[in-house]
Amino acid sequence: MEIQTKLIIAIIIAFVIGVVVGYGVGLMQAPSQPAQTVTVTTTITQTTTAPATTVTTAPVTLTVVGPWAGDEMKAFMEVLKEFERTHPNIKVEYRIYRAEDLASIAPPQFAANMTPGDVIFTAWGWWVKKMGEEGHLYDLSNLVNTDEYVKGIFDPVTSNGKIYGLPFTAWAKPGFWYRKSFFEKYGLEPPKTWDDFLKLLDKLKEILNGPPIVTGDNVGWPISDVTEHFIITFGGPELQLKLIKGEVKFTDPQVREIFEKYLVPLLEKGYFSEPIEWTRALELWWKGKYALYFMGTWITGMVDDPDDLGFFPLPGCKGVVMGTDYIIVPKYTKYPKEALELAKWLATEGQRVHVGTRAGKFATWLKVGIEDHWKPMQEVYAKLKDKTPLPDLDDTVGGDWQKLFWDQLKLLWVDPGKLDQVLKTLAENFPKK
Amino acid sequence: MVVKVKTPLTTKVTFLLPASLLVLTFVVYPIIATIMLSFNINPIPNVNVVGDRKPGLENYVKVLTNFKFINIEGLKSFSFPMGAIIHNIIWIAIHLPLTLITGLLLAILLQNVKGGTIIRSFIFLGMVIPMIVGGLLIQFSFDRDLGVVNLFLKIMGLGFIARSWTIYPDTALFSLILGSVWLWTGFTVTMYSAGLASIPKEVIEAAIVDGADFKTILFKIIIPLLRPVTITVVAMTILWDLKIFDIVYASTQGGPGGASMVLALLMYDFFARLQDYPLSATVAVILTVVTLPVVALWIKATLRGGKT
Repeated sequence: MEIQTKLIIAIIIAFVIGVVVGYGVGLMQAPSQPAQTVTVTTTITQTTTAPATTVTTAPVTLTVVGPWAGDEMKAFMEVLKEFERTHPNIKVEYRIYRAEDLASIAPPQFAANMTPGDVIFTAWGWWVKKMGEEGHLYDLSNLVNTDEYVKGIFDPVTSNGKIYGLPFTAWAKPGFWYRKSFFEKYGLEPPKTWDDFLKLLDKLKEILNGPPIVTGDNVGWPISDVTEHFIITFGGPELQLKLIKGEVKFTDPQVREIFEKYLVPLLEKGYFSEPIEWTRALELWWKGKYALYFMGTWITGMVDDPDDLGFFPLPGCKGVVMGTDYIIVPKYTKYPKEALELAKWLATEGQRVHVGTRAGKFATWLKVGIEDHWKPMQEVYAKLKDKTPLPDLDDTVGGDWQKLFWDQLKLLWVDPGKLDQVLKTLAENFPKK
Repeated sequence: MVVKVKTPLTTKVTFLLPASLLVLTFVVYPIIATIMLSFNINPIPNVNVVGDRKPGLENYVKVLTNFKFINIEGLKSFSFPMGAIIHNIIWIAIHLPLTLITGLLLAILLQNVKGGTIIRSFIFLGMVIPMIVGGLLIQFSFDRDLGVVNLFLKIMGLGFIARSWTIYPDTALFSLILGSVWLWTGFTVTMYSAGLASIPKEVIEAAIVDGADFKTILFKIIIPLLRPVTITVVAMTILWDLKIFDIVYASTQGGPGGASMVLALLMYDFFARLQDYPLSATVAVILTVVTLPVVALWIKATLRGGKT
């Protein structure tokens, strides 16, 4: 036989063996049966002693995965410390995963019956629902009394009567933040009409000799937050809800008009800066290079002097985007009882601790009073209480479209002339029901 | 006289088996599984990854008609985004000649310079840092306020054109390509330096004695003798350009508006964001098919000892 023929035979044999061996390994790794759907029906009381049925004498260490770093993490660590103090048999380790990283890392781990954490936080309700429907998460329906929470907060994480995530504290994206001292220095007032707003931008541009509004950037959410604020202001809260449900397309004349008449002219006139990484943008804005910054309420805990902070929504805005971080418990945790206990505590008493810190958050558990909140947040609440709370558009729609939305808005920000192309792309790629 | 010793079959099997098993399990099988998945065939029985899709070419149609893969409108107007596959081709078209020329010239220049080794080490730093960090460094380098590129422009009196180059659709891809030249040049310099060291000095000296100038020595002696190195550098660079991911992921995420999307990132997006594993596998197969001719030519050239 020639060498070439031998080589070909060898390759074919290797191929066949490869398939057989790989198939065998695959079979061994495949779960023998679909993961069970477990509903938590036991009522877990806040206690430091384990039930008699479970022998857990040695302290259990739980891993909590959350998105917070820096100042936000400091605030959250106070919550975990309080839990450890009241639950001496449970230790908690904290790991940072951004929502977008978690959505990439966790599904393959779940598929292999593993989890990056025992208790996980994510703001993406759509993702929680998806993972729950795929059978990776505990149904937490009976862990808390849903009537004790802000109305509608469970909707994004509910599927077929099962609740896959418990709400933690909430943030709001109320409008443009400014430094009171800066406005006082130049004799400026928050605007009461759209024309006032335009005049203010003109004045600020003159004072700063540059764009007055700093554009935060990251994977893209800061830009989408500003855009949603314009949609809610000029289209009303209903338009935001209709866009989320897919009842109105982005190419709809009403939506196009908001972009064309209000947002695009501001971009073209250079009132917005180029997108800058959002924490660096915060520093630059605080130092006075920019005057206005559209950001969520967590900003209150990230500045040196929260008393110097003021904010105003666009004049006429009747709604405010609010969102929460959902607490989930994957079925693959080694300590389900303790993990569920921690989840329940975080969704209830943990909120009371969190809102008292510099986290810049509101409680979603109604048993926490406004007086329990950090003082600057009490002031923010007073200004927002009459606004209609609305879900975040991209966080609710989710999936690949979320990234597309961010990416297309980044394009619009640097090239407003591409408005029609952007709206067409967003409309054509919106997930079909 | 060559004495041929016959190796017993058991010895052959003993030596071959462990490596063969590992290669078959961790290389051959995943490749087959990926191909199967791309055709909507579940590679593991009882584990339904493809859902209710029917086996066939559905995923290939989906990927090939996806505007992120190839954007006909962008191609017609010659504006970004043109689609991941075109962006990869542009990447190769610019990156390959630039790294080759820069690498070769720097290697020749540093060959007889005092402290050349130290300079070469600095150039090689680009290869040492993780590419994800390299992506962030590129982003900073092209930043309006912090970037070295704009600083250089300001020094040159061109401050009026300074901007954050990676955030504009018409410059994002080119910024990343230029940044990748910096990161990859260390490799080409090292390869060419090793190649130059292997050229006998007598050949160059003989040419000088015969009155050859630098241009003649470069084009008639050095470059032809470096041909095997060049083949390796070309093949490795094309493969690197085709599978480029981390730089784009860390700096632009493929944006703005998909203007810097590349094949590997598209594959990752299907995998990680959509969790659509069959679609992701399809892009992986396409990426492999695109890289195969390069690998085949390279292997062929290597086996012939560079005599192509």
